[in-house]
Amino acid sequence: MSSGGMDMKRDLLLVLPQIVLLLTAVGALVAEMLRRRRLGLAWTLGGLGAAGAAALRQLGADTTAFSGTFRVDALSHWSVLILAPAAGLCCLLARQELRGTPREGTVYSLLCFGTLGAALLAGTGDLMFLVLGLLINSLSGFALAAYSKTKAGTEGALKYFIYGTVTTAILIFGLTYWVGITGDTLLTSLARPDLPPLALAFGFVALITGLGYAASIFPFHFWTPDTFEGAPVSVAAYLSVVPKIGVFFALAQVGRSLPANGPVAWPLVLAGLAVASMTFGNLLALLQQNVVRLLAYSTIAQAGYFLLGVVGLPAGAGARRALIVFAAAYAAMNLGAFAVVLSTGKTLADFRGLGTRRVFAGAALTVFLFSLVGIPPLAGFAGKLLLFEATMAAGYTWLAVAAVLNSVLSLAVYLRVVAAMYFGGTGETSDMGPVSWAGQAVVVTCFLVTVLLMFVF
Amino acid sequence: MNTFPLLSLTVFLPLLGAALLLLLRPRGRRAAFAIGIGTAALTLLAAGLVWARGVPGGFAQLEELPWIPAIGAAYRLGVDGVSLPLVLLTAVLFLATLIYSANTSEQPASFVALMLLLETACLGAFLALDLLLFYVFFEVTLVGMYFIIAGWGHDNPKQAALTFFIYTLVGSLFLLLAILALYLGAAPHTFDMRALLAHPPLGGTAALLTFGALALAFAIKTPLFPFHTWLPTAHTAAPAAGSAILAGVLLKLGGYGFIRFGLQMTPDAFRQLAPYVLGLAVFSAIYGAFAALGQTDIKRMVAYTSVNHMGYVVFGVAAAALRPAGGPFGLDGAVLQMVSHGIVTGGLFLLIGALQDRTHTRDMGQLGGLAPAYPVLSGLFILASFASLGLPALAHFPAEFQIFLGGYQVAPVATALLLVGLIITTALYLRAIQRVFLGEQPAVLSPLGDLGARELWAIGPLVALIVLIGLYPEFLLGLIHATQRLIMAGHE
Repeated sequence: MSSGGMDMKRDLLLVLPQIVLLLTAVGALVAEMLRRRRLGLAWTLGGLGAAGAAALRQLGADTTAFSGTFRVDALSHWSVLILAPAAGLCCLLARQELRGTPREGTVYSLLCFGTLGAALLAGTGDLMFLVLGLLINSLSGFALAAYSKTKAGTEGALKYFIYGTVTTAILIFGLTYWVGITGDTLLTSLARPDLPPLALAFGFVALITGLGYAASIFPFHFWTPDTFEGAPVSVAAYLSVVPKIGVFFALAQVGRSLPANGPVAWPLVLAGLAVASMTFGNLLALLQQNVVRLLAYSTIAQAGYFLLGVVGLPAGAGARRALIVFAAAYAAMNLGAFAVVLSTGKTLADFRGLGTRRVFAGAALTVFLFSLVGIPPLAGFAGKLLLFEATMAAGYTWLAVAAVLNSVLSLAVYLRVVAAMYFGGTGETSDMGPVSWAGQAVVVTCFLVTVLLMFVF
Repeated sequence: MNTFPLLSLTVFLPLLGAALLLLLRPRGRRAAFAIGIGTAALTLLAAGLVWARGVPGGFAQLEELPWIPAIGAAYRLGVDGVSLPLVLLTAVLFLATLIYSANTSEQPASFVALMLLLETACLGAFLALDLLLFYVFFEVTLVGMYFIIAGWGHDNPKQAALTFFIYTLVGSLFLLLAILALYLGAAPHTFDMRALLAHPPLGGTAALLTFGALALAFAIKTPLFPFHTWLPTAHTAAPAAGSAILAGVLLKLGGYGFIRFGLQMTPDAFRQLAPYVLGLAVFSAIYGAFAALGQTDIKRMVAYTSVNHMGYVVFGVAAAALRPAGGPFGLDGAVLQMVSHGIVTGGLFLLIGALQDRTHTRDMGQLGGLAPAYPVLSGLFILASFASLGLPALAHFPAEFQIFLGGYQVAPVATALLLVGLIITTALYLRAIQRVFLGEQPAVLSPLGDLGARELWAIGPLVALIVLIGLYPEFLLGLIHATQRLIMAGHE
């Protein structure tokens, strides 16, 4: 054993990306206190870039820090590599949408805090880290959702807050059972064969309740459409991507430790939730006239696809790769879609004639939506291909069939927007004014990632 | 060994043309179609060079580049006697349809770019030797066709395009599951089609289920009864060029899939289930003929004859699967039938487009006596109709003759039933010719005269090919036969 000081230094170096995220968030807050918005934005973008660079340097390592409580592995590295750029894009969207509003700088800071929470979730090796990550993520989410002091915004934020606090309380309560039966808080302790099944199952249900709300999994999704509709579009974009990726990576960390063929048949439970989430999300998305609500239900459906990756975990490393690729694809296509919504409008009618009015925005949104369906060779297809493969490799062919049928359903959802853009007549030109460089940069970046991901991985 | 990547050039030339259009954004119709027709002509030339290079039977002119090594997917292209005729068909038909639609005034640049994208996707699907690559091309054809129907169609095109896209996506997603099953069944896991063809990976129930998914996917595409309902709707709404490509090329992906996937990758399962496929194909062919007989819209009528003709294709393939030693005819005939159907039906749809431009209706009840007014149009239509009903010395005859011959050795009763379809097709075409072209001449005629230069340049070569294949099918059959022997030899 080396000395405690050496251990500490090694551990701190291992969580350097997360530390950089924390410093970025704090620095952005200081900049806001000094009322230096541009500096705050620049600091945030730089800090997020630095966090990504730090994670990139560690790529390939597979170890743990702080006595096994934090896992430094592919999931935690890639979570930072995906979440930091995604948060940066959200900041740019916020710049376009909220520029000059009273508390603009706090948004950048809160976005970084939320990202830190998601990154902690993604590397969790311990129940305490799981709770910590979820709380940091949720608390910043509540504040962000309530940013616009409109009636709809307040209502949405309140719903998000109440659902969040109640489900998190259930989660913490349930996890105390796990602590009780294992005697410690490490996830690895869950692999012991002699644990009482009922307490194990109870803890798992509570875990799914708490994490399911943050990831908008059916039936814990209720807040999603209202909160998305009331919140600023840039915040809705953030809520649809960052917490979700953190939560699914955390679930994958739990799934790595919890025996699949033990007393709790958790892959089966998650498979059922996946089907329910996909089907419910797609069916309700079909009925929406508001594109933000449509995208909100679409995130519920996409949450179901994420679950396929977790279900496939017991079959091998393919599922982890699938989760990572799908997370990257999902971040790009979903943020891109929200970015176009931000510069176009919220109702389906606003999108009429977009394809000829703003050719690139129309083409880009078409690409994002087709990618969400999973049409090759776009990024979403790469993710879904790997997810289906992992699911079938794990023996859940019926789940893959259900997912495939849902992809057909989702085509009907997203084609409504595409058809409005190209074949819905011209409509009134109600664009939200000139598109800033920040918004345009987001669309271009997401477009490039969505188109090229399959050719570079 | 010549290493110039001619196949890649053939596949991606149209895409280059599309990119050129997006870069230059030509405002005028002429410039857009000049680029489009030029690119399609060069593509045809490249496809011809592929032919000239020689295709001995097995996969030739292979090209391979690493793509996603982690999951065993690569960029793999190759050509054999089954794919080359379809590649040539694709190149010919796209050139013809682009020439034909050169009068499109609505957003011509977008139209040409989409057509070229569609051409790349079709050529790529026929030439891909990697499951993943095949799937990518296969799906892109749906996207391209969706936009062509929805953007340039008539009579509620949005709805028809949506039906087309959703219906066929069901098929392709089951194809994706089948592809994954093949991939997971192979050891080591690979998407390399040549490896999977050489050693079909699955057995037992897994093979049966996989073949079921494949059969569903390709039955929707081909289409076979009861999965054909998207076809008439799509054809009614699609522009003439879109219909020609849809019937002429896209349906062939179904037939090609039955051969390349069903017959070659799950041979035992196909053999086991061949009686059912055979029965479905026979029923589909007869149903298509009867449904065509019931139509008053001449375009819908031709659309339903596609169900009939493609039923023969699947019948030929299923006959080959049922008894590999039964002789060369079933498979040879099926591949030739695909080419013949592409040329004949592509030509018919273009002619119907020309007809509609002049009469503004496709209702056979309102048409009549057009032969004296438009002698060339009528003459070509009648010739193509005769080809479609299977008259000797025209394109369908050598193909259908071989299919029936192959079928007779395996399933004589089913073959006899198929002849019923043939008789009905004859009746319906003769009736259509009589109603539309003979009889009393209408009082008012459109100021448009007989077929113009644009239409003749598009349709003339197709009609010439109809006669050429009818008189001398050997120029394609030699090619097909060499590959067919290899496929069946690997089968016993």
